[in-house]
Amino acid sequence: MALRGDWVYENNGGTCVAIAGSDYCVVAADTRLSVGYSIYTRDYSKICKLADKCVLASSGFQGDMKALQKNLAAKHLIYQHQHNKQMSCPAMARLLSNTLYYKRFFPYYTFNILGGLDNEGKGCVYSYDAVGSYERTGYSCQGTGGNLITPVLDNQLKSPSPLLLPSRDAVTPLSESEAVDLVKDVFASATERDIYTGDKLEIIIVNATGIRQEFLDLRKD
Amino acid sequence: MAKALADVPPKGGFSFDLCRRNDMLVKKGIQLPGFRKTGTTIVGLIFEDGVILGADTRATEGPIVADKNCEKIHYMAPNIYCCGAGTAADTEAVTDMVSSQLQLHRYATGRESRVVTTLTLLKSHLFSYQGYVSAALVLGGVDVTGPHLHTVYPHGSTDTLPFATMGSGSLAAMAVFESKYKEGLSREEGIQLVSEAICSGIFNDLGSGSNVDVCVITKGKTDYLRNHQLPNPRTYVSSRGYSFAKGHTEVLSTKIIPLKAKPEVAVVDAMEE
Amino acid sequence: MKLDTSGLETFVPPSRGLNVLPSDFTASPAFDLPGCTDFDGFQKNAVQMVKPAKGTTTLAFIFKEGVIVAADSRASMGGYISSQTVKKIIEINPYMIGTMAGGAADCQFWHRNLGIKCRLHELANKRRISVTGASKLLANILYSYRGMGLSVGTMIAGWDETGPGLYYVDSEGGRLKGKRFSVGSGSPYAYAVLDSGYRFDLSIEEAAELARRAIYHATFRDGASGGVASVYYVGPDGWKKLSGDDVGELHYKYYPVVTSSVEQEMAEAPVA
Repeated sequence: MALRGDWVYENNGGTCVAIAGSDYCVVAADTRLSVGYSIYTRDYSKICKLADKCVLASSGFQGDMKALQKNLAAKHLIYQHQHNKQMSCPAMARLLSNTLYYKRFFPYYTFNILGGLDNEGKGCVYSYDAVGSYERTGYSCQGTGGNLITPVLDNQLKSPSPLLLPSRDAVTPLSESEAVDLVKDVFASATERDIYTGDKLEIIIVNATGIRQEFLDLRKD
Repeated sequence: MAKALADVPPKGGFSFDLCRRNDMLVKKGIQLPGFRKTGTTIVGLIFEDGVILGADTRATEGPIVADKNCEKIHYMAPNIYCCGAGTAADTEAVTDMVSSQLQLHRYATGRESRVVTTLTLLKSHLFSYQGYVSAALVLGGVDVTGPHLHTVYPHGSTDTLPFATMGSGSLAAMAVFESKYKEGLSREEGIQLVSEAICSGIFNDLGSGSNVDVCVITKGKTDYLRNHQLPNPRTYVSSRGYSFAKGHTEVLSTKIIPLKAKPEVAVVDAMEE
Repeated sequence: MKLDTSGLETFVPPSRGLNVLPSDFTASPAFDLPGCTDFDGFQKNAVQMVKPAKGTTTLAFIFKEGVIVAADSRASMGGYISSQTVKKIIEINPYMIGTMAGGAADCQFWHRNLGIKCRLHELANKRRISVTGASKLLANILYSYRGMGLSVGTMIAGWDETGPGLYYVDSEGGRLKGKRFSVGSGSPYAYAVLDSGYRFDLSIEEAAELARRAIYHATFRDGASGGVASVYYVGPDGWKKLSGDDVGELHYKYYPVVTSSVEQEMAEAPVA
């Protein structure tokens, strides 16, 4: 808790994307960790598996990122002991929101996306700000490359707003392989223009059969 | 009285009043427009026959890559080139200005430009602007007195060196030079070492990236090797491609202006006017 | 001789089955504070992370049949639209809803917290909390955090034993009872439409249309408001969402494109 200066955060860069489908969820993040003009490491995983059908991708300050992941993992362990089951994705989403807000006056400097399958087996994506305001969306993108990728996803996946009445289904029409292809392409593009995104792309695919991991090399400059 | 003071004509020299005003405005929280900076790796070395200059090709604006393949090795004279780091507009302007002065000087004297002349022109300009022209340069060339390599700092100080690096990637590049440079390198060894130093900057410095430009200057001959190496190809291209269905843009109104059914072809005399 | 130690035992509440909840579950949670000398300076820097839902239009009014609540759905940071799907009307319980303006997380969290408190009030007193009481709970919490940097501008609308209720509550400690409110950067535009079209004896359909129009006109003039205009109605049977319309589509509904000119010009065109 003792702080040297009055400002304790740095931005370690990185970009996260998540896309929810009718029966899958794709969560991806690059593995570059950097500050200023230097690279700390080219191989830091920003994605954390919290439950069987729930993964968390974060960008921002690595120290807070790790602290948040450990905090959630510990709470999930207690939950499992008390309830003898894994936490569902919507429950984890609410837990994450509260966890972030409990540090409202000393925030975790992290920008999170939670992806997974909901209680009905549908893909779900929750996106957050640093202090825990959250919403369920069909797709989301955060981090240093977020401003570059979001418009592309808006164009390719534009789903009707969940607020519309009569409501229309908000999940993306893409198949799983098409979604993975899109994620790879937007990251390759973001890497061209964002200096904090690059090195390697980690893709986590959650579906009824379980969790699958894929990697793709990105530009290293 | 106050008016009389204000009417005193300037005594010459440069006024930095606006610089102080700008500092004050920044302190008060006014955002100045961002400049295109070339967070850069530029290097140069002397080899057995002359000078080799090298540069990366990334130009950034904050965290965004503004140009993936820009040119940072600027022409000064047929036998002199100059790598620029810092604000792109400043490096370009200062090298262009000096290069035209050199051209005029050649017209007047009928002799090949010398590297020291270029160096003096550059540093006197930069010194007079007290560092506000933010150009950090690596100047190299071969003239009647042999090969020369210099670095020029934004405030106008200069160095004369056998090998030099500048820009945000200078430390990464210098690490390569310090471990591998020796006197009397051959042309191929020299190009190889320069490329390696630039690549070190490209991969380890986020301000530098994309391709390697090299310029080899020898007595009477200059080889500008644009995009000598391309170490960063795109890693993934979607096999699916993107198509945009009709109707993405809603048609709100249509106006059809009919052309004349039978346009009259006017026969005009070919030499008329 | 056996000692009677019962006096030493601490009072244990009757078991509620699995006692998994912390005993101070209903109390405001304790918040970590930065250990720096200049808290205000820290908050000033940290406020950019709070992502204030800058640019909002929300409104609510009481009429003959109950309360109408409406809001847009845009969140913007400067010129960048960070979301077009923000749920700015927060459902506290089946009889009460709140609106969101200011810090998104602040509003979401404290409305959630209010929902818990209202439910506990129900369990303890065997009847629903009044809108007056609920809004006062929220106002008291916000007042206790006054000066800490919370940013909330909300309207609590609901139906209780006294009929429809509407309160405006903000993070500066303000709490106002009223018939007609609008909050956010688009509120001047919304007020203009609302005040000119408001009557107490509107029907539900008329009232919903008035709210929709007010939100639409606010999004039309205020660049920081937009997205979907949601309209809720709170009546004796609780709240109900009446509509959610994309304001872009509403524009063409209110101002249909006149297409007649095309046919005319087509007809005039000489047949080649």
